[in-house]
Amino acid sequence: MNLAQGVQVVSLGLLSLMVLGAALGVVLANNIVYSAFLLGGVFISISGLYILLNAGFVATAQILIYVGAVNVLILFAIMLVNKREDFAPISSAWIRKGVTGLVCIGLFALLSTMVLTTPWLIASIPASGEQATLLIGEHLFSDFLLPFELASVLLLIALIGAIILARRELIVNEPASGVDAGLMLPERPREGVAVGSDP
Amino acid sequence: MSKSRHLLSGTDKMNSGINLQGSFIDFFQGLGLPYGTVKLLWLPLPMLLLLLGATVGVLVVVWLERKISAAAQQRIGPEYAGPLGVLQPVADGLKLLVKEDIIPANSDPVLFTLGPMIVVIPVFLSYLIVPFGQNLVLTNIGTGVFLWIALSSVAPIGLLMSGYSSNNKYSLLGGLRAAAQSLSYEVPLALAVLAVVMMSNSLSTIDIIEQQSGYGIFGWNIWRQPVGFLIFWIAALAECERLPFDLPEAEEELVAGYQTEYAGMKFALFYLGSYVNLVLSALLVAVLYLGGWDFPIPIDPILQLLGIDSNVPWVQLITASLGITMTLLKAYFLVFLAILIRWTVPRVRIDQLLDLGWKFLLPIALVNLLLTAGLKLAFPVAFGG
Amino acid sequence: MDVPSLSTQLNPLVILPELIVLTALVVVVVCDLIVGRTASRWTPYVAVSGLLVSVVQLGFQWNNDHAIAFLGGFNGDALSIVFRGIIALSAAVTILISIRYIEQSGTALSEFISILLAATLGGMFLSGADELVTIFIALETLSISSYLLTGYMKRDPRSNEAALKYLLIGASSSAIFLYGISLLYGLSGGATKLVDIGTALTLSTGLGDPSIGIVIALVFVIAGVAFKISAVPFHQWTPDVYEGSPTPVVAFLSVGSKAAGFALAIRLLVTAFPVVWEQWRFVFVALAILSMILGNVVALAQTSMKRLLAYSSIGQAGFVMLGLIAGTEQGYASMIFYLFIYLFMNLGGFTCVILFSLRTGTDQISEYAGLYQKDPLLTLGLSLCLLSLGGIPPMAGFFAKLYLFWVGWQAGLYGLVLLALVTSVISIYYYIRVIKMMVVKEPQEMSAAVLHYPVVQWNLPGMRPLQVSLISMVLITSLAGILSNPLLSLANASVSNTPLLQSFIKASTVSVSITDVDSHL
Repeated sequence: MNLAQGVQVVSLGLLSLMVLGAALGVVLANNIVYSAFLLGGVFISISGLYILLNAGFVATAQILIYVGAVNVLILFAIMLVNKREDFAPISSAWIRKGVTGLVCIGLFALLSTMVLTTPWLIASIPASGEQATLLIGEHLFSDFLLPFELASVLLLIALIGAIILARRELIVNEPASGVDAGLMLPERPREGVAVGSDP
Repeated sequence: MSKSRHLLSGTDKMNSGINLQGSFIDFFQGLGLPYGTVKLLWLPLPMLLLLLGATVGVLVVVWLERKISAAAQQRIGPEYAGPLGVLQPVADGLKLLVKEDIIPANSDPVLFTLGPMIVVIPVFLSYLIVPFGQNLVLTNIGTGVFLWIALSSVAPIGLLMSGYSSNNKYSLLGGLRAAAQSLSYEVPLALAVLAVVMMSNSLSTIDIIEQQSGYGIFGWNIWRQPVGFLIFWIAALAECERLPFDLPEAEEELVAGYQTEYAGMKFALFYLGSYVNLVLSALLVAVLYLGGWDFPIPIDPILQLLGIDSNVPWVQLITASLGITMTLLKAYFLVFLAILIRWTVPRVRIDQLLDLGWKFLLPIALVNLLLTAGLKLAFPVAFGG
Repeated sequence: MDVPSLSTQLNPLVILPELIVLTALVVVVVCDLIVGRTASRWTPYVAVSGLLVSVVQLGFQWNNDHAIAFLGGFNGDALSIVFRGIIALSAAVTILISIRYIEQSGTALSEFISILLAATLGGMFLSGADELVTIFIALETLSISSYLLTGYMKRDPRSNEAALKYLLIGASSSAIFLYGISLLYGLSGGATKLVDIGTALTLSTGLGDPSIGIVIALVFVIAGVAFKISAVPFHQWTPDVYEGSPTPVVAFLSVGSKAAGFALAIRLLVTAFPVVWEQWRFVFVALAILSMILGNVVALAQTSMKRLLAYSSIGQAGFVMLGLIAGTEQGYASMIFYLFIYLFMNLGGFTCVILFSLRTGTDQISEYAGLYQKDPLLTLGLSLCLLSLGGIPPMAGFFAKLYLFWVGWQAGLYGLVLLALVTSVISIYYYIRVIKMMVVKEPQEMSAAVLHYPVVQWNLPGMRPLQVSLISMVLITSLAGILSNPLLSLANASVSNTPLLQSFIKASTVSVSITDVDSHL
């Protein structure tokens, strides 16, 4: 084993430990803020695994998107609504936890047997290394063009939806035209302007 | 980064300049040491160099900041510590080092300690991609500027962490503001970089500079990307939380933002981080828009005219030092601009800040990107076909 | 690769119907932005006409020989055309019935329509997606738009609750689905096209038993699909979401979204999993049994009309699965035929429920008491649609069910068909209960809501489209059974024109006959 291989093995071990430890922390930590920060640790460690796989672009994108955007947004949301509420302790909560733990261990055992016994087909294409960025771009504009473009629709509609959910609407307590106030749906009208009626 | 080439590693390019790593390894192998051991000896050197270089750069900037601020206010500034007060930043640093390290009551000590580290580490890491010459770069990795953008997006986590853990409302607000600001300005910043990347067909900083070289000052990207340059500079100032965008630590509103409860070495880390980041941003502006190590007058034709072979060691030495000098000069000119802006422009309000980012810079950056793509198709010669 | 040759290879005209829907979506968004609130008077009609034009365009593509587009990412074969048509039609009807509802609830109409169009787009792409990444993105487009639609009445806590539940359960089901398709990617050695995956899995399995990895991938993928078609035990979200979300959204979810789920199920299972054909058939038998029993039995105890329809839709999904399990040419044809009829009768039913809740503000079944005296048209429409859902002759639902059961019997699924018959009888009970409530009650037994029933007015803004959809849906529901030939031949032709189904049916019948021979020997 030469220097490079040694470094790789050690980094793989360290990164795997970090992923596992941080992921367990996310699930088990009582403080939700800790969970959120540890989630960032999971993302960073996974990006390290990508680097070990020579996927530099994916690693960088992982940091940018998951750590820089997703995790920051999660933290943001937690800190904006950081309502300290004492939950009443559930009686015999350990049974639930135990059952959950058992189910998870069972699932883990099943999946690991699967991973070990399945004859995986290894792709014959050589690793692209530094050319990966270029190749990803070519794929996005040839055989993955449709999902790439469809993702833009998805993002547009997610944006519109987020704005709808977040915007403050002017509430006028005035029923829409032609309806008695008693016969309203539970939702309140936004304004008096109705579709098709004169403004 | 197993694949990445390390500092000064020999590339096969013609204009390879000096190759420090190669010479180092050759020298020690000549002494009879095995290759692996020499490599191991070499590895820490670039890392140390990075830390030292960045720290010295910060000391210079702090001194500049004090002197230029003083000049802007018609004061003298530091003058007793060393000639012209150049040792003042060192004294500041020593003071912070030996100060008592206070962790406030009811705070979260672990997060409180981790916060400043998470802010500082990505900034230092980003120096990996800053080139000072053809081979004078720590790693010429393929993702180059993209790595910098990604790393700079990690800092808000540290800010949120320190804001949250300080158990202080000003800190929390400051942390939240910092995160919001960083998220908002990352988008136009990345779009401005994308336009440059589109012209050079590569994310690597080396390729970006090479694409600008050859025509001296007229080849620099600032002429082809004037709007992109402005967007980048504004967004970079916002990312560094410099005035007029220093809302997260606006002292009139938030005492000192997320830094309020920090003292001693942890405060020093924040302080260091913000200045390292400023120098880094300036360096990247120089790389992306001002031709990096490129001299304003093209050198190769002159050498040819004089009949000098550019591979002779002493010529290589001169061009390399010229490259380093040019990069630093450009960067420090931009730092000077930033300091001048600090004392001439009033601070914006938080809503103005977000409006500027989302409603002004973002659309303009998008239009700039679109225009660049169009120009690239129309004039492939000038805009990198 | 130069641009013209690339565009011939991409063959983008196959997705022209989707592009029309996309244009309608962009027009709605941009016009609403520029013109302002008054634009919502005509944007719904832009959207509806876009959807109808898209359906017409789908008709023109019926005999398209070059159906493969985007280098194998999208397959515009006859099967996908039928499903895309169902989804687009259901979206068009949903928009018609939602105009008044959204207006009266005081929320913005144009945004609602644009999100609905995006969901339609996701569903349509999902019906034809032939490659894992496209499938996933299309699925997410459909899902995320559905979450948004569910939570659209944001001042209504029930809507919020429904959206949150739907989002959480949906996100975890997406995650499981994604895990499944990532296993497929690994098992096939890095293939993302379904055809390549199918070939690779067949090659690696050979004649032996399928590896445990393939089975786990299959289970995970089916979990994701079953969530979309809300098959028991992946149905938990359905009643709560149906009860809380705006009623037009429920109409779309129960028809459009479900059809997209079935399209995905057929394409994915038939193309990528021919190796484990018996395994997935077995899983679907279990899903169908559970869905039919639980959906129809729990529906008996419901007091809210929306919840009733939710459970009934779970049961209906169980019936549709019969055709998938049969696996014959008629099996798929009967599925498509049933989905077509289900489109009309279910949307007709929802039109009536919306109309009733618009006029009275409630959807409790007990409040329907004595409706016949006040609003005969609504009573008639709702009764016909419910009868059709229950499968009473001569409504269309009867013929659709008949075809399904006949196909199942032909395929030798005797137990399953018997169970389906029993559960349909149960379903007739709860459908008739509503009709009895409306028709038989004496005037003095009228509910408070019906007692204060407003004068029926069709000239209010947004009421005309409701009337159009009510009358057309009820007409089709009552007549499509007797005049079902065109629909039947459409369903049959769509199956016989689809190469992937044809080859699969051939292969599976061969393997079945071989196993038969083996057992005889």
